[in-house]
Amino acid sequence: MSNTGNHLSHTVNRGLRGLWDRVYLWFFSQGFSWAITLMLSFPQRKRMSHDNGVGGTGKITIVKDQQFPSHPFFSPGRVFPARIRHASATFLDDAMNCIRSMSIKFSDEHFKSPFDIEMNTGEISLFWSAYSFMQFAKLRREKYGVEYIDYYKKYPEGLKGAEVALRRDPSSFHNLRYYCKTPFLFIGDDDIKRYAKYRVRPYDDEPETGINKNPSEVDVGNQRIRPNEKRGRNYLKYEYEERVRKQGAKYMMQIQTRIAQDDDDPEIFNNMVPWDEIAHPWHDLAVIEIDKTLDWKESTLTSFSLNHMPKTLGVLPAKSIYDYNSLNYMRAHSEKARVARLLSYKVFGFPKPIPNDNNRNSGDWAKIQREKVSNLSRS
Amino acid sequence: MSLFPKGATEEDIERVYLEAHKETRIDYSKTGGFFGPKLRNINHLEVGRSKVINSWYVRTAEYILVFYERTLEWLKKVNRALYPRKTTIYGKRKDAYITGKLTFAMRDDYAIPLHNMPVRFWARTWFGGWRLFAEGYSDRDGLVRIDYDYLESRRFRYKTFHFEICQLSHFFFNPNDRVGSIEWEVFERIKIPKSDLTGMGYNIGNLQLFFWEYRRDVAFPRVVINDHDEDSPEYYSDGRNDAIQQQFVPIELTKEKHLVQIKLDPDSISIPSIQADYPKNLTVAMEEKLPYSTRCDYWFGRRMMNGMNCATFLPDAKEAERYWVKYFGACDYEVNDEYAFPTVEIKFHIPKGGLPIPEEIITTGPVSSHDKDQFIKRNFTPADGDRWEQAKRVARVSGGLSTELDDHFAGTHVNTEQFSIAARRNLRKSPLATLLFPHLKEVALINHSADSILIGPGYIPKASALTARGIVQRCTDMMGVMDWKNWEPMEVINERHTYAKAENLFWEVVGEFVDNFFEEHEVGIIEEWFEVFRFSEDLVQNSAEAFHSSINWGTLTKEEKEREEKRVEYYHARFRFDPDLERVRYKGKLRAMSPITTNPLAPEPGDMENLKQACKYAIMMATFMHTWVNEHQYEDIGEILYSSLGLRFGEHKDGIFRDESDYSISPDLTRATQMMWFSNLLSRTEYGFITRNEENDIDPLFRDILEKKRSEFKNLYVEIDNIESRTNI
Repeated sequence: MSNTGNHLSHTVNRGLRGLWDRVYLWFFSQGFSWAITLMLSFPQRKRMSHDNGVGGTGKITIVKDQQFPSHPFFSPGRVFPARIRHASATFLDDAMNCIRSMSIKFSDEHFKSPFDIEMNTGEISLFWSAYSFMQFAKLRREKYGVEYIDYYKKYPEGLKGAEVALRRDPSSFHNLRYYCKTPFLFIGDDDIKRYAKYRVRPYDDEPETGINKNPSEVDVGNQRIRPNEKRGRNYLKYEYEERVRKQGAKYMMQIQTRIAQDDDDPEIFNNMVPWDEIAHPWHDLAVIEIDKTLDWKESTLTSFSLNHMPKTLGVLPAKSIYDYNSLNYMRAHSEKARVARLLSYKVFGFPKPIPNDNNRNSGDWAKIQREKVSNLSRS
Repeated sequence: MSLFPKGATEEDIERVYLEAHKETRIDYSKTGGFFGPKLRNINHLEVGRSKVINSWYVRTAEYILVFYERTLEWLKKVNRALYPRKTTIYGKRKDAYITGKLTFAMRDDYAIPLHNMPVRFWARTWFGGWRLFAEGYSDRDGLVRIDYDYLESRRFRYKTFHFEICQLSHFFFNPNDRVGSIEWEVFERIKIPKSDLTGMGYNIGNLQLFFWEYRRDVAFPRVVINDHDEDSPEYYSDGRNDAIQQQFVPIELTKEKHLVQIKLDPDSISIPSIQADYPKNLTVAMEEKLPYSTRCDYWFGRRMMNGMNCATFLPDAKEAERYWVKYFGACDYEVNDEYAFPTVEIKFHIPKGGLPIPEEIITTGPVSSHDKDQFIKRNFTPADGDRWEQAKRVARVSGGLSTELDDHFAGTHVNTEQFSIAARRNLRKSPLATLLFPHLKEVALINHSADSILIGPGYIPKASALTARGIVQRCTDMMGVMDWKNWEPMEVINERHTYAKAENLFWEVVGEFVDNFFEEHEVGIIEEWFEVFRFSEDLVQNSAEAFHSSINWGTLTKEEKEREEKRVEYYHARFRFDPDLERVRYKGKLRAMSPITTNPLAPEPGDMENLKQACKYAIMMATFMHTWVNEHQYEDIGEILYSSLGLRFGEHKDGIFRDESDYSISPDLTRATQMMWFSNLLSRTEYGFITRNEENDIDPLFRDILEKKRSEFKNLYVEIDNIESRTNI
């Protein structure tokens, strides 16, 4: 075959493969989203993983002295109403060894917003693509607060991610560091295509608590509370409510950017590989001030979406289920699960809050919903 | 009753010897074919009835089975041709990896990493093709990490994925340029589901491999072999199995015929008729040509010095030109009640330039069923007439059994196996693998066969005084005097000491070869010094306890103490064991083997010399030392009445001091045919010689150096074409 023929054949081959990968990614995401919708969101009235949380409202002020590339959405001094939600995944017990999260909404609405972002503790994650997330979900095999044993055995990065991201007994949601890990698009005023990562730290840079020092490789899967644990199963949420009531909660949202190039290594999208902080330093982006916490109902009604972003700050396109960007793609395609959950509140009534009882190490949402109201009161 | 047969001279005996030797020399011509009986392979030999196929019906069925197996083999060859395992790596990026940890698997060594193990990561296409994705080695901690292209692995064309751990299978040398090539074989293959590969790392976990594991049921180093056909750390080459089939089937059939005769019509068979049915050996042929030529004192001394026993002559403390040869008998080892195994001490006069002439034989221990005193002594001199002749026979028998167990089995077989195990467990990247493996292969297999053929429930416990347990006890003791350090070949007593001269000459050959090899490969050896360190550690830590290093001398009686002191002195001399060396104590035992190095990173002063010496020793044991005792069995224990491995007490009050015509002290008919079978098995089925280099695995340099010494060896009655390259029979 001539060179032209070879080239043509190669191009067609690649084109068809690329098309197939994208179609498969779409079906994969839809399938996953429908599975959540039909198995969790509607019948059980629950989120996929972060049910155990507390919300708050306040304001977001974009910093005036900006070190990052200017962007019209992040114009200096701009102020947004804010709504945030902290949560512990996946168990319904704050004293367990869990990933903690912070979701931020640049509005004080249940859903509508010009910009939402979802972040978890730990600089790296436990999975890195839609496909690896499926394995993660498949190998959970949770029993009595112990989970992912086989997953950690098979996937060293998953184990490392868990060691880095899980937080045991933090003193407050407020002093943790939250990272978005998978990058987003960033096209600023200069029209140069960039990628951006976001993180949040306490405004006063209070030292982080709850970090697992010298984690045991064999015990990471054991997320149960410690023996003789004195902290209640809602202690973090209560602490946060107290903190906000007394002094409010103030955070600094930061951004890290890098210029997109044709020959970028795909590893720059890998949420398991933090960007070099010297080459791509973190810059202050916005100050978040929370002065009021939301009650259970408001917190539960509050939802976030990665589709809530300006076009120039959106989710990066993914090419396949193995693409590191497929994680955000999948998140962005799970809207129907949120709609189904909200619908289920109307059909089946509002879900009950997490009781402050001695049913420890539990992740059983359905059981709580079956319990009597008297058990749900705050002690 | 004289030095020579009546009217004969030394020249007559030497002439008869040369004629008989020529007549009875073993050749390796091809025999057999479809119409001949078949023996499956060496693993199926038994002292009783081996799996030889005689019936026409069975043979036809066997032919069909063989045809089926060959068809399968052919199909496998076609499969290999259709789906070659090319070494081209598929994929360009290295964005994902397979990781894991390789360790040994026994209860006491599962924490020891398997270093430098070659590993490969393959994909198979839907049509069966093999595609190599990654390859590499485990590191010193046994950790594996091989990178591959993740997106390439996601392509539809790949159906399954396999992680393979390999071991060295064969070395081949190009005879012209000495360039060696390695063939790897899969030791363990693990299938990895395609769906499990998610990118980033995939951990296959801690793989505990039963890789050349040490047996723990004996106190000296032996390898675990669960099933010699299906689950063995190595296998015989096809050539080795063919050789045994070609050489041994007639012998096996003769034994079977005798066993049937003994069962159905014992009167039709006798010791002479059994002897006559087997091929003539040296002593039978000599006796036919010149009666008494093999029973005379001259021959007795000649064979003690230069025959299978190649005895060690300890100078007498008082008299000049007087030496002692000692064969320690039953001692405290477990024995049965049927056979005698007295200790024999023989005093020789070795005149300048002459062969040893026996002057006195002292036996210690029971020699009849009427007196079982362990320390009873009997002295014999040539003046004792018939008793002297009988004492020489007793000396030959005790000497034969001692040589078989101490020198042959322990000294060469097990001794070589301990190097083989340590080498196979540790040497992979080091050039030493090329040097040693051709000489260390298959010894573990033949030792495994020896366990059943010769030890329990094999021939020796049935045909000699020692029980299977007794043999193991004795072997444990013997392994306690095997050490490479300061070993040197036997001291030459005089011009007629041809064995010692040959041993020294071969040691020179090995020395020149190894020195040359080290000069060429020194850099590579130092680069992989960790392998040498681990090799040394295994060698030392698994070696037997130094002989009598933990004996409580205070609890022994006077006689016991005297006997054990004699043994210590003699064994140290016999096996050139240096008792003054500082030895390693490991798990409470003083270990016989000396360490080569104690530094895992680089050789310290003296370590390189140690390594050379250890390699020379291992090659020497596996080649010349084994060949000598093995091929001379046919000459020195190939005649039932001349020297069997055991004499029965019999019923007479004189016990074993009876003429050869008294068959009640000889082995019974079954043992007699088994003995002939046994000596023929071991001497006639050799395969794998240095100069013949049947499998192209011998370094051409070694062969060339040896070839240059052909005439020198010939003058010492050694045919270099018969020197084995390895211990495999």
